[in-house]
Formats: sequence, C-alpha cells, structure tokens
Amino acid sequence: MALVRWDPARELASMEVDRLNHMFSNFYGEGFSRSWVPAVDIYETAQHEVIIKAELPEMKREEIGLTFENNVLTLSGERKVDEQVARDRFQRMERFYGGFSRSFTLPATVDAAQITASYKDGVLTVRLPQRDEAKPKQITVGD
Amino acid sequence: MRPGSTTAPSAPWNVIRELATMQERMNRIWGVPHGRDHEEANPGAWAPVVDIYENGGRELVIKADVPGLKREDIDLTFDSNVLTVRGSRRPDEGVKDESYHRLERAYGPFSRSFTLPATIDAARVRAEYRDGVLTVTLPMREESRPRQIQVDGGE
Repeated sequence: MALVRWDPARELASMEVDRLNHMFSNFYGEGFSRSWVPAVDIYETAQHEVIIKAELPEMKREEIGLTFENNVLTLSGERKVDEQVARDRFQRMERFYGGFSRSFTLPATVDAAQITASYKDGVLTVRLPQRDEAKPKQITVGD
Repeated sequence: MRPGSTTAPSAPWNVIRELATMQERMNRIWGVPHGRDHEEANPGAWAPVVDIYENGGRELVIKADVPGLKREDIDLTFDSNVLTVRGSRRPDEGVKDESYHRLERAYGPFSRSFTLPATIDAARVRAEYRDGVLTVTLPMREESRPRQIQVDGGE
C-alpha cells in the first residue's frame, strides 16, 4: 500500500491553516462552497480484506460517489446545507459542508469485482477483498 | 532557573510540542472545542462538531456529528439549562492495532455541554439519531416570543 511517511509537524500545521481558512471563509460568507476531507480508518481483516471506513454523517446514499480505477479508490460527494434554514439563524456552524474528494491507492491484489460498499449511521464502509495471491504462503526451505 | 525569571528550565526545542501548544492557544482564542486532533494532549477524549440554529417554529436545534454510534451509546441530559451530550465510540471488535493502516477517526468517550437560554421548555425537548447525526430540538416557551411594546406618551 502506498503510504506516505507521517509527518506530525506538517499535519499540525496544515490542520491549523485549514481551521483558519475555514473560519475566515465562514466570515466572508464562502463557508458553503469550501471543500473538506472526511476522516477515514483503513484496516485489514484476518481474511485479508481491506476495510475503509469514512465518516460521512447525514448524507444520502446516492450523493456518495465511489470509483475504483487502476487500484485507486476515489470517494467523492457533497454535503449540502439544509436550505430551509436561513444563514442568519445559525448561532454556531462547526460542521463541514461542501464538496469532498479523497483517493486511496490500494494494493494491486485487490479484486475489483468483489468490492462492496454500505452506508450506515453516517459511516461509509468499503470492503475490498484481495485475491488469493495476497494471502500469506508457507515457503518450504529447501536444501 | 534564575530567581525572578519566568521561563521554565530550558528543555530541548521540540517542534511538535511547540506546534501543539500554539494550536491549543489558538483553539482557546477562537473557542474551538477539543476535537479529534487533541487526543495527544487529552488522551481518549474528543468532542463532536455541532451546528446550532433556530428554526421557524421558535425551536433551538442542535445537530452533532457522531457517526458510527448506537442510539444507546448516547447519553443526553438537560439540567439547569445546560444540555450535555455524552457517549463513547468503540472501534470495531477483533481488529488488532497493527492491522490499521490509517486511524483518523476518534474513539473513546466524548462529552460536550451547551448553556441554553432560560426560556427553553425542558418538558418538550426531543432528540433523534439518524445517519450519524444527533438532532436535539429544544422548543422555547411562549414568553420568549417577541412582543410589541406600546410607547405611551404624555399629552
């Protein structure tokens, strides 16, 4: 899996910039069009399935886009603000709105035909089973 | 430490700690709740993000993003005009730590409180959990309605 080395300093710095941008864009009334990134967990089960869980609260199934191409899984969509509520009625707006897109490079052993996804309680779960070749093999040491 | 000095004994400069401190200070300035990025400073505790607005029917609505919970994992109390939402999110069972490639979601207990106007009618507060969002609706009593006040003048 193509993973980038974690750099806490960069992460913290970008987090702060994001937050400031978010705050100021709210201030200038652009909050709705700002993009955001859903939080995800990725793990592998004992059966060597890769599981991706993304937090997408209060979305509709049909508003979530999921594509798999060249071992890259892309998750995209848009969370819309409730149009019934006027902007000036908000006393606090911490939740993220707007478009999002996130891509993950997966091992070449993922079996594209077997990928399934479900949405429950605001969490999107994508199951990516791997072909048998990804499973550990016992190798006999010869003479 | 020299007498009268206010600086702490010098420790090796730690950029991460420095950034974390800076962030905490910023959070305090902007009143940002302790979020998932705070786990290091306050292990295991996180706070969901919320929207608060007034709907057309003179009700205050609080929406909190708490995806992946069960209804029974959420504890909601309203006491002396303070609404407190508490709960805990558990990671999937049977997954070993070393099986995680990425762990961005926050787990463990969370708690957040909101002081609300005294005009909230506690008896009619209701809540529902759907699609990972907890929505608490707090109707206001009649007395909170805007009132027209007659201006009397002496003839």
